[in-house]
Amino acid sequence: MAKTYQVTIRNSGQTIACTANQTILQAAIAAGIDYPYACATGNCATCISRLEDGKVSLLPHGDACLTKAQIATGLTLSCRARPRSDLTVNWLARSGG
Amino acid sequence: MAKSSVASSAKSSATAAKRLKACKALLAQVHAITAREGIHPSSLHAISQKLVALAKRKELFPAADFPLPTAQGHNYPLLVEDGDGLGLYLNVALPGKEAAPHDHGIWCATAAVSGREKHEFYRRVDDGKTAGRASVIKVGEVTVTPGHGMVMADHDIHATTVVGDKPMIALSLYGYALVRFPSVAWYHPQFQSVRTVPSRRTPASVGA
Repeated sequence: MAKTYQVTIRNSGQTIACTANQTILQAAIAAGIDYPYACATGNCATCISRLEDGKVSLLPHGDACLTKAQIATGLTLSCRARPRSDLTVNWLARSGG
Repeated sequence: MAKSSVASSAKSSATAAKRLKACKALLAQVHAITAREGIHPSSLHAISQKLVALAKRKELFPAADFPLPTAQGHNYPLLVEDGDGLGLYLNVALPGKEAAPHDHGIWCATAAVSGREKHEFYRRVDDGKTAGRASVIKVGEVTVTPGHGMVMADHDIHATTVVGDKPMIALSLYGYALVRFPSVAWYHPQFQSVRTVPSRRTPASVGA
């Protein structure tokens, strides 16, 4: 069974369970959180978020959606990010949905 | 500058010139087809065959001119027309790179230079009356490989995945340039949802 981590969504103030083989976005939607997204496959960057603390591994995504420089400054794509520790994220879009 | 570097640069420049000439010839052929026949399944098929023929000319698309992505996918414009003209691109994507089912609102054709990409086709089956909700069902699948292409009409829905263990290098031709797509609707069977990315057209270019 995949390990489960605690993921805190800063914008909604909720902490949810997210397994190691789930993306943050999948767990958020399953928990009823109106997380902003569109392609959900690393092509549009609608779900770009700040990883305030914790670690993730990233599924494949396009160069234009998340650069190495952005990753270095703490940004991530919630649709591509799977937790590797308990973590906190903050989406950058103005509103969910 | 060293002699070998000069020779390499000259070769690259010559290849770029040949590539541009070939891309211009393709777009001229496509315009001739659409002017004569309009946009419908058989004309799109003819366009796809022209694109496949260009993709077979591997010497025009050397790896040195189109480096692998820093992440897993990169899109190189080859020839993009002004206004509501055509957009021709070379895409490089690594195994596992995917795109959820989406409708980009304009026809497109894809042909592989190398690698393999699976295209799954979907059909929307809900009534569209609930904002943000949608149901799609898979209705077909094709794997684009060298020597073969794929074509879609304006509002067809497809999902893509690079399969195999080699990068997918493909030519993609769209009825509009990517920056002038009307909008892109993304469908998510697992969430029973649809999300639309607004048009990236600038106000000055709309209706141009």
